[in-house]
Amino acid sequence: MTRLLRHFQSSVGSKVLLALSGLGLVGYVIFHMLGNLQVFEGSRALNSYAAFLRDMPIVLWTARIGLLGIAVIHVALAIHLSLQNRRARPRAYAIHRYRYASIASRTMAASGLVVLLFIVFHLLHLTAGIVGPSPPDRIDADGYRDVYGLLIHAFQNPVIVLIYVAGQVGLAFHLHHAVSSSLQTLGFEHAALNGLLKAAGPSVALLVVLGNVAIILAVFLRIVR
Amino acid sequence: MRFTLNIWRQNGPTESGRFVSYEADDVSQGMSFLEMLDGVNQKLLVAGEEPVAFEYDCREGICGSCSLVIDGIPHGPDQGITTCQLYMRRFPDGANITIEPWRAKAFPIVKDLVVDRSALDRVMQAGGYVSVNTGGAVDGNALLIGKDQAETAMDAASCIGCGACVAACKNASAMLFVAAKVSHLALLPQGKPERTGRVTAMIEAMDREGFGSCGNQYECEAVCPKRISVRFIATLNREYRRAGIVESALPNASESPHAESV
Repeated sequence: MTRLLRHFQSSVGSKVLLALSGLGLVGYVIFHMLGNLQVFEGSRALNSYAAFLRDMPIVLWTARIGLLGIAVIHVALAIHLSLQNRRARPRAYAIHRYRYASIASRTMAASGLVVLLFIVFHLLHLTAGIVGPSPPDRIDADGYRDVYGLLIHAFQNPVIVLIYVAGQVGLAFHLHHAVSSSLQTLGFEHAALNGLLKAAGPSVALLVVLGNVAIILAVFLRIVR
Repeated sequence: MRFTLNIWRQNGPTESGRFVSYEADDVSQGMSFLEMLDGVNQKLLVAGEEPVAFEYDCREGICGSCSLVIDGIPHGPDQGITTCQLYMRRFPDGANITIEPWRAKAFPIVKDLVVDRSALDRVMQAGGYVSVNTGGAVDGNALLIGKDQAETAMDAASCIGCGACVAACKNASAMLFVAAKVSHLALLPQGKPERTGRVTAMIEAMDREGFGSCGNQYECEAVCPKRISVRFIATLNREYRRAGIVESALPNASESPHAESV
C-alpha cells in the first residue's frame, strides 16, 4: 500500500491519476451528450430515457457518487499540481514567448474553472431545479416526468442559453488540450498512431460541444419545441 | 551592426537583480551571440566596471554550458542550436535584445546570467550505475541491438543537459531531460538490469529538486538544441508505470545521492 501511495505521490504519478480521472469524466460527458441528443426524437423518447435512468436508483446513485468522487480527485490534484508548478518558478521571465503551446494548453486552469462553475450551475439548474426561472414540473401523457418540457422551457430563455453556451466553450477549450495530453501522460505514443493521438483532443472537444450546442440552439431557435 | 541589450544583472544568489541596458556596437554579422557579449564585457572591463557573467565552455554546441533566454526564448530564436551557435546576422541591425538567465527554483542564480544547474547532476546521480562486467573485452557482436533501437537510444542520449527544457517550460519541469536520460538506458540491454529502480529514483529526485510537472505543451522540444522528441516523455511515463507494477530490484533506490558524493 505504501508502495502504491509513493508511486502516485510523485509528479508523474499524480499526473497519471489526473489523466485517468479526466478521461473518466470525458467518458461521462460523451455519454451525457449522446443521451441528450434524444431530444431530437421528441418528448416521448427523452422522457422515457430519463425515466429509464431514474428507474435504477442504485445504478444512478452509484454513478453520481462515483462521478463526484472522480471530479473531486481531478480538481484536487489539478490544484495541488498547479500550486507545485507555480512554486517551481518563483520569478517570472520579463519576456516569455511560446512556440508550440496552443492557447487551450495555456488556459487549462481558467477553462477548468469555467467548466467547474458551469457544472455547479447546471446541477443546481436542471438537476435540482433550485436556480433559474422556475420551470413547469409536469407529468407527460405516459406518466413520466416531463424532462423534455423542462429543457424547452430552459433554452427558450436567452440568459440561460448564454450561460450554457459559455460553459460549452470552456469545455471545448479544456478538452482540446486535455484528451491528447492525458494520452501522452499515460504513455501512449507510437509513430503510426501519433497523428491520431494528437487529433483526439480537438476531435472529442468538437464532437461533444457540437452535440450539446446543437440541442441548446435547436430549442432556442424553435427548431425543436 | 549595433544593438541595445537589456541584460539581467544580479550580484549574487541572495541579492535582488535588475535589468541594465548596454550598447553593443561594432558588432559584425559573423559574430556569435557569445562573441558579441565578449565585446560588451571588454568595454566594461576597460571602463572599470564589472563584466556580465555568463556561462560557456566549448562554443561549438556540444557541452551544454551556455544558457541564455534571448527575447523570451531559451537559446534564442533559431531551433536546434545552442546560444553559442547563434549568429548576430540573425537579428536586425539596431534591435533591442533582452537577455535573461534560466529561471527556475531548481536553478538558483549564481551571478548575472549564470545559474546553478547541479540539480540535473543530482537527478542523474540518483539514477545510479549501469552494470558492466569486468574481465576480458566482450566480443563486438555478442550483444545484438537492432539498428532502429540503437538510433532511438542515440536520439535520447544526445541530450547535453543544458536545461533549456526547464527554462522553456511553463512549469519549470525537467521531464524532457529525465525522459532522455531514462529512455536511452531503458532502450539498451546494458541499461536493463537497473531499469526499474532507475526510473523511480530519477523521478523522485526530480520532484525533490523542486522542478514542476509536465503540462504536455511541448515547449521543451521546441527549444531543445538537440531536438529531443517529447515521445521520450511518453516513454518515461510508461517506464514509471511499469516500475510501479514490477517490484523494484533496488531497495531504497531513491535515497539522497548527497550522502555518497560528499
